[in-house]
This record gives sequence, structure tokens and C-alpha cells, in this order.
Amino acid sequence: MNADPHERAKRLNTQSRVEGIAPSEQQWLDVHLEGCARCTEFAQSTERALRSLRSVSVTVSPGLVRATRHRVEARVQELGEHRSQMVLLWVSCAFSWVLGIASAPWVWRVFAWVGHRAGLPALIWQLGFALWWAVPAAAAITVALVRKANEATDG
Amino acid sequence: MGRMSAATLLFTTSMQHENQALVRALRRRDPDLLSRLIEQYQYRLFRYLLYLTGNRETAEDFFQETWVRVIDRGRQYNGKWKFEAWLFTVARNLVIDFLRKKRPEGLSDFTRDEAANPELSAIDSVTPHDLFAEQEASQRLITVLACLPAATREVLVLRFQEDMTLEEIMQVTGAPLSTVKSRLYRGLEELRERLEGAS
Repeated sequence: MNADPHERAKRLNTQSRVEGIAPSEQQWLDVHLEGCARCTEFAQSTERALRSLRSVSVTVSPGLVRATRHRVEARVQELGEHRSQMVLLWVSCAFSWVLGIASAPWVWRVFAWVGHRAGLPALIWQLGFALWWAVPAAAAITVALVRKANEATDG
Repeated sequence: MGRMSAATLLFTTSMQHENQALVRALRRRDPDLLSRLIEQYQYRLFRYLLYLTGNRETAEDFFQETWVRVIDRGRQYNGKWKFEAWLFTVARNLVIDFLRKKRPEGLSDFTRDEAANPELSAIDSVTPHDLFAEQEASQRLITVLACLPAATREVLVLRFQEDMTLEEIMQVTGAPLSTVKSRLYRGLEELRERLEGAS
């Protein structure tokens, strides 16, 4: 508790504006201000400063608002197109994966036959089969991730 | 008392409903809603950016960028906070990102000394009818504000022009409560002293 009533009054005056004070403190402050010209002047000057701050008027140019609306509309459209592209990409990927899974047994046999005819070790043609199956999916995931990273950087 | 609580509850519930509607519309990137939001918050957002940057042209650039980012990041708004608090956070982060790319000091880059800062003191001098030019007190205030650190100007605007609570200011600035309070106390005192000294 501050011993100097004037210091306390100044502190409470500012505090009441910044974060509020208890009713008992407000009551004490009101009583003190009634009898103290110096603290009243301090309170009034704070009030003047705040009034001045609140009275400031800033104009926004209509051109800025218009330009912002255009940019926003363009961005919404761009994102909509981007979303359609991504949907198309994922649908293609899903289709390709379904086809890949469905045709895997036959493709496996083709790879085995080619490897056998070419006299390749089993590991090599099996690796070839794995790449044939995994590379398109990896490419699609890479494309999606790169786009996502670009979005994060731009946004 | 019971009636007051019911009114408060009704108000809170209605605000939550509004916020949830806003959340859904932002997720849909509803162009009509965005247009309405730009209209509704143009003045407050621009004023905030103007005080933050102290420069009209820079504030205009950030104004546009903020709305573009609102579209990009609209899904991150969860309706827990008032929309304006989230909007100002988005704007502030943009300014900070921009400054970090230029210099690592952050907002302090936008603090200049009185003599070297004609831009904030000429906030609205581009229009002949603006109040700054007409009112001597406003002119004085602008000059005084230009001398305050940008972080102090910012909290003063949020608290006394935007009437934000301390919690909302914490959310916008990302600063702890103690820092927000000390900036407000210091800022208010400095503003008062400088305005009195200038008059």
C-alpha cells in the first residue's frame, strides 16, 4: 500500500483506465479528488489525453477497399481452381492405385517372365516391379507436398 | 439479477452463434461474407495498421495482404475469440513477418524519433477535409504518437480505441499480461505527459 495519498491517487487513476479498480478504491479516489486540485488536474489531463486519442479520425480511401475486394475475389477464385486441380489429382491417384492393386498379380507375372527371359537375378526384377508400382504414387505425393509447402510459404 | 444473467447468457449465446456462422462461412470462403467483412472492419483494421506502421502507404499494402491472408487462413479461426481480435492478430503477424525479413528487430523498426518521422504526423494530410488537418489537437496527438514505440502505440490503440480487454490484447500481441499492462501504463503516462508538454 502506498503511503503517499497523491501517489496512490495517480496510480489508481491510471489503473482505473487500464484495468479497472475495485469500487472501494474508486470511492477513495473520488473522495481524494474532491479535495485535491493537483490530483484532479492529473486525472483531467489523463482524461484529455484519452479523449484526444479516441477522437482521432482516419479515412480509408474507397479505392483501397475496392482494390482489396478485387484481390479477395481473385484469390477466392484462384483457390477454388487450385482445389479443383487437387481434387482431380487425388481422383487420378486413387484410380491409378486401384488399377495398380488390381493388376499387380498380372504385372508381377510379366516382370517375372521378362526377368527370367533376360536372365536377371530375382532381386532385380522384383525391385523393378516395386519401382513400377511405387514411383507414380511417390510422384503424386511429392507434387501434393510441394504444393502444400508453397501454399504455406505464400500464405 | 436473474434477469441480468439471462440477458448476459442470451447475448453470449447469440455471439457464439454469430461466431460459429462466421467460422462456417470463412471455411467456405464465402465471397459475400468476405466483402461484408471488408466493409465492416475497413476503418478499424486500417487505423490499427496505420498506428502500427506509422505510414499510410505501408498500411494500405498490409490492409490488402491481411484480407488475402484471411482467405488463406480462414480455417484457423475457431470462433473462440472475437473476429476482430483474430483479424488484428493476422495483420500483426504479417507486419512482423515482413519486418523480420527486413530486419530482426521486429516492431521497433517502426519507431522513429519525432524529427525523422513525418509520415505518421501526416496520416491523413492527403485528403483536404480530414480531421487531422482541421483539428490542432489531433495534429498534436499524431506528433506525440509518432514518438512512442510502435509496441506502445499498438496497445494504446487496442485498449482505448478498440476497447479491447487485456486478454484480447494479449491474444493479438502475443505478449504476456504483465507486458501488456506495463506498456499500457507507460504508454498512457507518456502520452499524457507529452500532450501536456505540447500544449
